[in-house]
Amino acid sequence: MDVQEFLSYFREEFFIPELKATTKDEVLEEMVQHVASKYPLKDTRLIIDMLKRRERLGSTGIGHGIAIPHGRTLSTPSLLVAFGKSPRGIEYDSIDKKPVHMVFMIVAPPQEESNVYLPFLGKLVEVLQVKHVRDQLMQVTTFQEFIDTLAGGF
Amino acid sequence: MDDKQLRCLVALQDVDHMIRERAKEKELGFDVEGVDELQKMREEIAKSIATPLLRTYERLRQRYEHAVVPVKNGICLGCFVTLPTSIGSKGKENITVYRCENCGRILYWLD
Repeated sequence: MDVQEFLSYFREEFFIPELKATTKDEVLEEMVQHVASKYPLKDTRLIIDMLKRRERLGSTGIGHGIAIPHGRTLSTPSLLVAFGKSPRGIEYDSIDKKPVHMVFMIVAPPQEESNVYLPFLGKLVEVLQVKHVRDQLMQVTTFQEFIDTLAGGF
Repeated sequence: MDDKQLRCLVALQDVDHMIRERAKEKELGFDVEGVDELQKMREEIAKSIATPLLRTYERLRQRYEHAVVPVKNGICLGCFVTLPTSIGSKGKENITVYRCENCGRILYWLD
């Protein structure tokens, strides 16, 4: 996946500069409701439940203050990616047991014409392994800064 | 059949996707060790579904990758056949579980 395609899945309306949530359940609710306020989703409850069940399979808190809750559900018509920041941190049961400050939420339909969900997820994990990208993401305040920072990880 | 049954079927299919894709997720570095717990959740959801409907779901799952498929613009996105108009309008009310007359998959209206 090239940089242009990768970046094209992020939308400004799904950029949340300051999350209110302080727990995992709260942040999943907050981000799904935020997306639903900007985009017609069939059933937000099904999406939230799916994300919570995915967390039971294993925490998507990957360490370094980052969580990537994700999953497939019929309740979304297309791949949706939201990003939220929490300056004060969220209790997320991450692998390093540290609070989460950046949340990338990804929901995808079971059937995708372009089959991009797993490649996108893989690329995101790869980009977030770059330390300077993580450090800069903590500082971004606008969507454009966010996109520029992610582009720097390629 | 009611909306709750359809929602349970969608939830069941979502869990089945998680179980099916866990190996790929593990390759990406995600923790997927809780599969036993997820299986228990699957059983709990399955208990909420009427037995004949659950049997239909399981039978469809053996035949197709997706037993429950979206309907968009009156088209079954499982087999891409246009559904009869009468079914389309009833299905949008979301009060009954409908199946595609062509492929038999369970239908879920997105619009």
